[in-house]
Amino acid sequence: MTGRISAWAYAAGVLLVTGCGIAAAMALRPGFAATVRQVTGLEPARIAAPDSFYTVRVAPLFDRHCAGCHGARAAKGQLRLDSFAAVWRGGRHGDVLGKDGELYRRITLPQSDEKAMPPDGKPPLSKDELTVIRLWLADGARGDVPAATVKDAPRLVLPVTIPQMNPQDVARQRAPLADELARLQKRYPGLIAYESLASADLQVNAMLAGKRFGDADLQALLPLAARIVRLDLSGTAVTDAAPLSGLRAVTHLRLAGTGLTGAVAPALDGMAALKVLTVTGTNIAPESLAGLRRRGVTIHGEGDDGA
Amino acid sequence: MKDPRLLLTDLSRIQAQTRRHFLGWGTGGLGAFFLNAAMTEDARADGPQTLNFARDPATPLSVLPPPFRARAKRVIYLHMGGAPSQLDLFDYKPVLARFHGHDCPQSFLKGKRFAFISGIPKLLGPQFPFRQAGRNGTWISDRMPHLERRLDELCLVKSMKTDQFNHAPAQLLVHTGDPRTGHASLGSWVTYGLGSENQNLPGFIVLVSSGGITANAGKPLWGSGFLPSVYQGVQCRSAGEPVLYLDNPKDVSRAQRRQVLDAVDEINRQTHVQFGNPETVARIAQYEMAFRMQLEASDAMDIRRESPAVLERYGAEPGKTSYANNCLVARRLAERGVRFIQLYHWGWDSHGTPTDEGVNVGLVNRCRETDQPTAALLADLKARGLLEDTLVVWGGEFGRTPMWENRGGQEMAFIGRDHHPSAFTIWMAGGGVKAGLVHGQTDDMGYEIVQDPVEVRDLHATMLYLLGFDHQALKYPYQGLDQKLTGVKPARIIPQLLA
Amino acid sequence: MAPDREADTKPAAILVWDAPTRLFHWSLVALVFVSWLSADQGYMTVHLLSGLTLLALLLFRLAWGFFGSTTARFGDFLHAPPRVLRYLRGRGQRLHAGHNPAGGAMVMVLIAVLLAQAVTGLFATDSLHFTGPLALLVSEDASLRLTTLHGTIFNLILLLVWLHVVAVGFYLLVKGDNLIRPMVTGRKPASHVPDGLRLVFTHPVIAVLLLAVSIALVTALFFWGTT
Repeated sequence: MTGRISAWAYAAGVLLVTGCGIAAAMALRPGFAATVRQVTGLEPARIAAPDSFYTVRVAPLFDRHCAGCHGARAAKGQLRLDSFAAVWRGGRHGDVLGKDGELYRRITLPQSDEKAMPPDGKPPLSKDELTVIRLWLADGARGDVPAATVKDAPRLVLPVTIPQMNPQDVARQRAPLADELARLQKRYPGLIAYESLASADLQVNAMLAGKRFGDADLQALLPLAARIVRLDLSGTAVTDAAPLSGLRAVTHLRLAGTGLTGAVAPALDGMAALKVLTVTGTNIAPESLAGLRRRGVTIHGEGDDGA
Repeated sequence: MKDPRLLLTDLSRIQAQTRRHFLGWGTGGLGAFFLNAAMTEDARADGPQTLNFARDPATPLSVLPPPFRARAKRVIYLHMGGAPSQLDLFDYKPVLARFHGHDCPQSFLKGKRFAFISGIPKLLGPQFPFRQAGRNGTWISDRMPHLERRLDELCLVKSMKTDQFNHAPAQLLVHTGDPRTGHASLGSWVTYGLGSENQNLPGFIVLVSSGGITANAGKPLWGSGFLPSVYQGVQCRSAGEPVLYLDNPKDVSRAQRRQVLDAVDEINRQTHVQFGNPETVARIAQYEMAFRMQLEASDAMDIRRESPAVLERYGAEPGKTSYANNCLVARRLAERGVRFIQLYHWGWDSHGTPTDEGVNVGLVNRCRETDQPTAALLADLKARGLLEDTLVVWGGEFGRTPMWENRGGQEMAFIGRDHHPSAFTIWMAGGGVKAGLVHGQTDDMGYEIVQDPVEVRDLHATMLYLLGFDHQALKYPYQGLDQKLTGVKPARIIPQLLA
Repeated sequence: MAPDREADTKPAAILVWDAPTRLFHWSLVALVFVSWLSADQGYMTVHLLSGLTLLALLLFRLAWGFFGSTTARFGDFLHAPPRVLRYLRGRGQRLHAGHNPAGGAMVMVLIAVLLAQAVTGLFATDSLHFTGPLALLVSEDASLRLTTLHGTIFNLILLLVWLHVVAVGFYLLVKGDNLIRPMVTGRKPASHVPDGLRLVFTHPVIAVLLLAVSIALVTALFFWGTT
């Protein structure tokens, strides 16, 4: 029972040994060291400015290509790339940044290399995306350089997002004219349709009815005028007296192959929303459309068509 | 009390139910039950929305609005079967010209499979002078002088790639999203999803020139695959009867035809009452459409109704079967609200073996046949205000090698290039694509893509997006899988191509 | 001073730990170390093998806790928390042939945590080079969550091992009670064992049988999951 030491001495010894152990681990494991520094507040939390090159250009790339495996869901290699602080903390082996750092090295490896990122045949970063990351790393991987000041950056290409729709909103927008539309769709089957499932706007394709469609039919559609945005009257029997100016929402109007003349111009002038007009094969003289042209309306088929 | 006669009908209907019907309904019912559960799951998971393509079986082609605003309402797809040489038409490679005749570097050959090249082939520079044209000084070969004037309307994609190096599978991939037969073609998907505006014409029309040779993969290129057969492409002819067997037999009047149809319809209706199979209603609808088409199709296909000036611009000659005529017909169909118009012009397979397969012979001829009509179609669509909402796509099934083909180690009689899936050029125009753009880049030899590769499924996803669809949402349950045009691999909508 | 006759006849050291328990203890030490090293260095096959072995050993130990020798039985060293606290405050019975109440609690916690570690490991994946034998039975998300848990539990194990070593060191250096040697030799000085204790030792063949069953179970689990 000799060699006993006091409890205090033992506690001190344990503290010392544990401390040395942690110090050794920090020295051997930069990732662990970074965590300890951040947890203990030895290192200030890093935050990137909202308009910084990092936030605007780099972070979306990490989100899209990396954060699935290096983020909240999983942190492979103990690396997370879903926040500026985490990016700076690095992974199991510490810092991944730097111009020749692990991050850039791994994302530029040939896809056949088993260490290449993203792995498993996931699409590699494009040349432009790599350029963005290279520029950011070369500038010290900072979070305070405004995006606008990085001149050599490739043009920003935003991924296409599928428009999401809210069926209740659409139904609400459609409700005021729904009964009228149902009635007219029965009378003109196949001619009137919503522009899309997400829209209350209508397109009317009277071309399908041909010569059976005339001024009176256009008049009949006027209750829907607030919602008709595209109107194709090609080859119909509409005349210069057609109630066109009542169609105040129409942006695209096709009159090809109708018997209309310059006399229809005032009615067209009244169509405030008009942006694109097609008059191929009509007798509408170019000069009668001068007003529309001044308004910036695109006009197809004036005078000679094609060539 | 229920009419006893009705009871009798009920009984006969039950008796008409075979084991197969029952099992079919049973599994269908269970499947629907499961699908319903799966769909609510979907909605909660914020995944692609579930679309309802259900229609009245009597009007299977009725218009369905796209899920979101479409930039293109219809498609004219100009398929250049055989694979045109991008290196002699659009993808200008002056460095390759400099190395013309040198041995192909080993690095090009390692790990590659070729259809015919063997040993060490020689590099083959561009065979025609290139020049810059359009607002952006885009390079184009002198074989396409007419198209050159429309360059500002084109969206050139020089970085298309495929994983198929034989014609039929590659063509199937481009048309159906899968290299094997049995999948629904692009046109079928689009008419399934959107219907067609003109109920008197098929929604998906196929026009074949080049001596009636379609393409290696044949009719499956416009097949409906697992989609209902009513969405398959209908091949029409630009000379003679537009649709075979559509006209009345000799000495049968339209009125007599109507009487026959009425009788057939009545029998079909009775059959439907008895068996309740929706396909019967679809059959009635198809007979009726054929009857309406007798008038409308003849009119739509008849290019004699065009002015001589228009015919001349296209280089069209009524009564012939030609690409030029088909281009003009395509415009007429687009005007009439046909959803998907597919043209085939075969003969771009420039191996250099027979006369008509040389880059210096066949390719020149194909350009001569197609350049003017293609350019005229674009101009005409634009003049008629149709280009805004018509998506025009031009392209083959893969590219051609920067090496001179040496089939069996032999030098070819004519200048030829082998199949090359790693890089090829297509272009799009109109409906929502960025005009005057060149997207993607190949290396100095035109061998591999070095920037912005576009997979066939990416092209499909982009086309569907332009038509108002999320490619993930345009699906059809078949063999336990939600079948999609873009398949199971992730497809990207290419943002740069959008206007 | 005349030597006490009785003390003379009483052996100086008494067997308290049977061989299976000791072997289990030191194998566990080795396997935990191997598991850490192999995972750290990326030798995932080694990690898988050591993890499965660990699992089999833990299962064996659970069984041994019911059918083993007196000192190996849970009934011998598992005590209600108040009793553990009382022991830690220095009250209650001081001499124990097997684990003291605090040590018993430690054993139980270690076994539970190691078991949790082994089980989460079965479901773990790094989506790249390694997929746990049961990972495909659960959703990818669940697998990833369990993988994260696997990492967290490892930190817990580190903490428990630290506590374990510090406690044993405390007994050795402060209290002068060497717990390590008995775990090697199986024998404790008679003065450290309560008098009049009857220890029953289960036949080692039973241990071999139980171990065989455990290994068979784990092997079956592995093949069931991977095929």
